[in-house]
Amino acid sequence: MGEYALLYILFAPFAGALALIFISNRQPLLVRSVAASAAFVSLLASLYLFYAYDPVKGGFQFVQKYEWSKQLGISLHLGVDGIGTPLVLASSILLFAGIFVSWHIKDRAKEFYIWLLILAAATIGVFMSLDLFFLYFFYEMSVIPMYLLLGMWGSHTKKYLEMTDSEGLKLRDSVGFILNFGSNSKEYAAMKLVLFLSAFAVAALMGILLIYKYSGLNTFDILVLREQANLMNIPVLGTTLDKIIWVLVFFGFASIAPLWPLHSWSPVGHAAAPAATSMLHAGVLMKLGHFSIIRVAFEILPETTRELMPIAAVLCMFSIVYGGFVAFYAKDTKYVIGYSSSSHMGYVFLGMAALNYISLSGAVIYMFAHAMATGMLFAMAGWVYDQTHTRDIPSLGGLSNKMPFISVCFVIGCMASIGMPGTVNFIAEIMIIVGSWDKYPLQVIVAMLGIVLTLAYLFKMMRGLFYGPMNQKYSHAHDAISAVDRLPLLIMISISIGFGIFPMHLYDVVRSGVDPLVARIMRVVPVAQTHEGSGVRSEVIIPGTTSTVPVVASKLLPLPSQVSRGEGE
Amino acid sequence: MTFSLNLAFSDLLLLLPEIFLTCWLCVVLIVDFSLPRVPKERLAYLSVAGLVVTLGCLAWFDMNHVSGTLFGNMFVLDRMAIFFKIVILGATILVILASIEYVNRFTLFRGEYYCLVVMSALGMMFMVSANDLLSVFVSLEFATLGFYVLVSYLRDDLASNEGGLKFFILGVLAAGLLAYGISLVYGETGKLVFSDMASAQPTPGLIIGFLLIFAALGFKVGAVPFHSWIPDTYHGAPTPVTTFLSIAPKAAAFAILLRIFLVALGTFKPIWVVLLVAVSILSMTYANIVAIAQRNIKRLLAYSGIAQVGNVLIGLAAGTKMGNDAILFYLLAYLFANIGAFAVVIAVSQAIGTDEIEDYRGLSRRSPFLAFAMLLFLLSLAGVPPLAGFIGKLYIFVAAIKEGLYTLIVVGLINIVISMYYYLIVVKQMYINEPIDPSPIAISGPMKTVIYVGLAGTLVIGIYPQPFTDWVVSATLMFANFVGPSVTIIPPGASLGG
Repeated sequence: MGEYALLYILFAPFAGALALIFISNRQPLLVRSVAASAAFVSLLASLYLFYAYDPVKGGFQFVQKYEWSKQLGISLHLGVDGIGTPLVLASSILLFAGIFVSWHIKDRAKEFYIWLLILAAATIGVFMSLDLFFLYFFYEMSVIPMYLLLGMWGSHTKKYLEMTDSEGLKLRDSVGFILNFGSNSKEYAAMKLVLFLSAFAVAALMGILLIYKYSGLNTFDILVLREQANLMNIPVLGTTLDKIIWVLVFFGFASIAPLWPLHSWSPVGHAAAPAATSMLHAGVLMKLGHFSIIRVAFEILPETTRELMPIAAVLCMFSIVYGGFVAFYAKDTKYVIGYSSSSHMGYVFLGMAALNYISLSGAVIYMFAHAMATGMLFAMAGWVYDQTHTRDIPSLGGLSNKMPFISVCFVIGCMASIGMPGTVNFIAEIMIIVGSWDKYPLQVIVAMLGIVLTLAYLFKMMRGLFYGPMNQKYSHAHDAISAVDRLPLLIMISISIGFGIFPMHLYDVVRSGVDPLVARIMRVVPVAQTHEGSGVRSEVIIPGTTSTVPVVASKLLPLPSQVSRGEGE
Repeated sequence: MTFSLNLAFSDLLLLLPEIFLTCWLCVVLIVDFSLPRVPKERLAYLSVAGLVVTLGCLAWFDMNHVSGTLFGNMFVLDRMAIFFKIVILGATILVILASIEYVNRFTLFRGEYYCLVVMSALGMMFMVSANDLLSVFVSLEFATLGFYVLVSYLRDDLASNEGGLKFFILGVLAAGLLAYGISLVYGETGKLVFSDMASAQPTPGLIIGFLLIFAALGFKVGAVPFHSWIPDTYHGAPTPVTTFLSIAPKAAAFAILLRIFLVALGTFKPIWVVLLVAVSILSMTYANIVAIAQRNIKRLLAYSGIAQVGNVLIGLAAGTKMGNDAILFYLLAYLFANIGAFAVVIAVSQAIGTDEIEDYRGLSRRSPFLAFAMLLFLLSLAGVPPLAGFIGKLYIFVAAIKEGLYTLIVVGLINIVISMYYYLIVVKQMYINEPIDPSPIAISGPMKTVIYVGLAGTLVIGIYPQPFTDWVVSATLMFANFVGPSVTIIPPGASLGG
């Protein structure tokens, strides 16, 4: 393995998908085991990556670079820093868990696993791309598998199937179904997701093309661009170019995050998707947004980021509160979790907006933590749906008699989602809140309110599903008994609690990625101080602003993480 | 103007592919007449054999950098011409393979069908070598002549006859415009060879002349507002002919457009950029919006083709070496995706007898292979990574942004999203809806070959484009050096492709 770890992680799922094409659907066990072993290779390699990543050295490690197109200045440049590493790990954990969650899929299982593997590989590809072109390449590549996964294996709400249009045609047969807002069909959800994400992705692509043009370097390489591209102070349309690029990139990628007014595709998509897809979607696909913003906007336009990031600080409040309230009133299990995810992504934006070591590290750890927590919840909502074929909370109830294991896991999942001490979510939340307090006290108060809301809607859902009187219609429902069914939940729970109790390595890795970034962004204005982070500032050595040599990333900065080691608790 | 007709044998070498193909065409015709019992399928393979030999000859030319001019600069063989000839011959081979089954629908003249296809290909081979307005006119009409017949080949089908008639009337109109434009240009400059016109002054007569020529060529490529024949003709024509019509004449007409705009009109760039921007925006936006309402897959692909032409025009509007490369690359990507998509349409219509999008319901259950192939072809047309169409679009956008054509790029990007919708409507029918009749669909051998070639091209170009970008860059590099004065039209700042 060693230095090629990234290639294994990225190409194992692709190889698995390719192998599956040649396997017949009549051998379901072989299909599943090929998919599982591809995911397992990827998981092992990313565990290795996570523990072999050297936080003392920091910077981009495991770098691979292959020339791809001379004319366009594109190379397949892969590498992870402290921000990408945990997200790669989260993706491969969720892929592995997702394959077991969807173990019982009967209809076209082979195709399902092919698209799931491609989806996961594309997301992983974004997390390790150091080339703007490939970042976009993998980003856009993850959208189409979502369409097929939602459309082919997703679920409708029942009411929808009976709805007809004025001519008496079933709505799902009408060509204009996309205009039929408010419908809950899986086709609608899938199409809305693709169009929404593509529309905003092309905005981001426009930003990327502008970076390419105005840097004049004839390259898409992020490491070269961040050192050499000078995009500041070019007047365009009454403002400056860097602001236009930043807005295009930020909102282009924030749509998948999803930031508040751009979120509407997300809960619909979550609700329609099959369990494993929801897990990947909420767990990692949404993080592509934050990650790409960090990678493109933060790295290449640090000064503009400092200037414009308050936009995110304002919008994130709406995300948190709006998502929380909708989740509270929603009656559909997957809508609740979907809106809770979009609400929780507001915390990540808050952590990013505050732009200091603690809050940004908190935001990155939160992405990892949320992947596990929301993965669990979606897996269990999927289990309940498979057993009862309904997602309607009022009609369910008392399932804890039938499925004790699931209900215990559900409690743990809720605890993790709320951020109970002992789970990694707690560490992340406390870092975001503490880190942002100085700069954005109002937002922190809103975030606290969001935690209360989370508590309220998750407990409401838990009561609705597992306690209270039982609907006898669902008396045939049964628990997750076999090892295959329990494995994914146990993995996610153990990761969530494991890192909650021993967060040191995760924390060090994340800090090693966040520190140079924050130092770059904050090099003019003194670093925001936090109560814990007071030792940080003096340690940061700011790199020369006029460096023209492409800097080898690993030599970029000495890191303060050693100094601040141990403050995560 | 002096014509040096003292042809040496070595000069005729440049015409070898065309001469060979003409002879082969006669052989095919003679075989068809003299051996009426021979199954027409054999004639198809016979024509393909001739085309493959021609293709090999052109590949040999390309590798050995054979180039030169003939007939007082009327005929030019440079690497760009070779590139387009290879594309056209490749398309012709795939179209013939895809029509073997379909030809059984024709009541009469099954053998002549192949001859007409090869004859049109021959005409288009001359088109891409035309270096002079007269040879443009002659070769263009020669190529179109075969198509007039081919489009109305389904003699008993009203739609086919209607399509043929529309195509013919508008085609003749376009020919008239072309001839009038040529006469105006000749009257103003006294020159016919493109490279001689580079120094001409933009007088009103000359501009009108070129506008008329552009209208005629716009008719051939099917750009809005010269597109009105396309939907009906594509719909009515036999599907293999539609396939052929949607690729080869467009490629050939683009070769002429490239020569006219970059060589003859290099000095008028500020004038024609506005024209091309307008036509490109109209083509993309109009075609993509109208395509949403289509219920017939052939009409959908017709409008999608118009939109793709709009995309190619972005590269032409860039007017640089890189834009030129991007056009060639895009056409290559478009060739594989479009032939593949039409091959699937032919295979499906052979099995279920219609071309309505609704009848694609549940195709993924009836034939997972066809559905998967169609999915990839449509996504490549839409421009989704990791398929060829995405790289093609990106190449064009990069070329355009270097020239600062922001409006065009924004419109192009928005159109990607619009087009995604109607392509996904087909995907929805194939994958999400359940079939009414779940019986599996059988695919014939040649058809499978065509689809496999399309898939291979779409995927390989998308995943590893380097050899193909190298090819297009060297193709237009030779072109830039060869024509001489055109070197000056490359702005000093523009990089020669990296």
